[in-house]
Amino acid sequence: MENQEKMDRFMPMFEHFRAELDEHHDRRERITKASRDITAASKKIIFTLQRVQTLNQPIPQHAVKANKQYYDAITAQVSAVSMDLQGLNAWRYNRQITGGCQEWMEAACFQHYLETASLLSHDDAAQKLKELDPNGPGIRLSPEDWVLGVYDMTGELMRFAITAMATSGELPSIKSPSSSEAMDVDNAATRQQRNVLTDMRGLRAALEGLDTGFGPFAKDASMKMRVMQTSVEKVEKALYGLIVRGAERPKGWMPEVEGGGGRAVEVEG
Amino acid sequence: MAVNSDGMIESGIFESLQRKIDDDSAVKDALRDIVQELEKQGKEDALFFVCSTDRHRSDNAVHTLKSSLHRIRRPYVSQPCSQQWQLTANTEVAVPSVVSSAQANIDREVQTIHKLSETASKEPYYKFNYAWTRQIQDACSSILLCGWLGGFGKSLAGQLLTIEDVGQAMGVPVNLKDRDAFHLTIEEYLQALISLLDELARLARNSVTLGDYRRPQLIAQFIKEVHAGFQILNLKNDTLRKRSDGIKYRVKEVEDVVYDLR
Repeated sequence: MENQEKMDRFMPMFEHFRAELDEHHDRRERITKASRDITAASKKIIFTLQRVQTLNQPIPQHAVKANKQYYDAITAQVSAVSMDLQGLNAWRYNRQITGGCQEWMEAACFQHYLETASLLSHDDAAQKLKELDPNGPGIRLSPEDWVLGVYDMTGELMRFAITAMATSGELPSIKSPSSSEAMDVDNAATRQQRNVLTDMRGLRAALEGLDTGFGPFAKDASMKMRVMQTSVEKVEKALYGLIVRGAERPKGWMPEVEGGGGRAVEVEG
Repeated sequence: MAVNSDGMIESGIFESLQRKIDDDSAVKDALRDIVQELEKQGKEDALFFVCSTDRHRSDNAVHTLKSSLHRIRRPYVSQPCSQQWQLTANTEVAVPSVVSSAQANIDREVQTIHKLSETASKEPYYKFNYAWTRQIQDACSSILLCGWLGGFGKSLAGQLLTIEDVGQAMGVPVNLKDRDAFHLTIEEYLQALISLLDELARLARNSVTLGDYRRPQLIAQFIKEVHAGFQILNLKNDTLRKRSDGIKYRVKEVEDVVYDLR
């Protein structure tokens, strides 16, 4: 009997720990689930956007309509967990929410590029994410999530460029106000007009120029760096193939891409 | 950074990002220096592992908590048998000197923890806590061991310092929820508690070797109680869960020692 009493010496302490840990695990699970749902919806938004064939123009109505349900899903998830991600907890659960934030950033950044042919800045992206929770405090978009989302977005630019080359036989270009004609691919090498590839190269240079220091972020960034570089090279190879084969390409021809669009498979995963 | 202004990238975007990364790197550098200092001080608590395998080193080694603890001998070691339990008085005398020298070492660690707390509290706690959590766990387990041996105002051996006691010893808040500052977390305390049990399981065997036959019983009782506590926790599949799964083996180890003494 006395032994049993002694066995209970630490029980109140452990009961307190249990309550605290349960609260923590429940919150973590809610955030993980929301992050997964945000990721899934963002991927679907990207699929729809990949069917858009215009650049530097508003997203066509069919795509806007198709994506509405996914935007709504993201808004619902963000509102559901924004209270769990305030103060101390913003960084505590960063690992749980970062996946969703990055994927959302990738989608938002890709859409912004299709609409405006420019890169969505961190401030603007953070503002957009905050607006998804109009009645709450919103979720914070860390600079790290922003960069990692930009890395992934280059993969979308690669798919967009290659799809365009396969279907229309040319690299999507950004028409400067002076030239109204679509760029002729045969002159691509000699003309300095902006196109998806020049933008990808600009992004690549900017990302390569970043000194990410050390730590978990540097590790993530260096992994994505390789994928990003491969994406740029895939478009370069595809453009080379397009120039060399030129008009000879048979119907249904696809640009030769080493690795059979491995990145595209990854995105779908 | 060469970014053409007429390209897709508005100028300044990556420059301001680089500044943020550089600021973080400066914080990480400052933290790393402090954590390395703490790590060095903490290692002195764990010299026993070196001492027990390396004679040369043990001659010069700083006599710190764990190294001294496992070597405390009674002047006269008699045959192990149950009647010898009353002869443990000598060890009881010897331990306070270990505790006081250990506490002096811990005091130095606490100074470093204050420095860490000051620097770390300027940043979001969980942004960088990966940089120090292991060293803080080690410091916490040294404090727990010292407390178990009768240090930190626990005049009796076999007592457990609570997370609040450890926080007080470290001079930092514990389990903070309402504000973002440096603190000791429940997970860190529990990890340190498991390390304490690992250490006590060794101590149970080594106590017998050194002629102390009462301490294993005290340890067995203590480990069983803590084990019962861990069993009511709903742990997820993480490192805490994995390590706490090992407690039952410590229970058995120490019970075997107690059984051998019967």
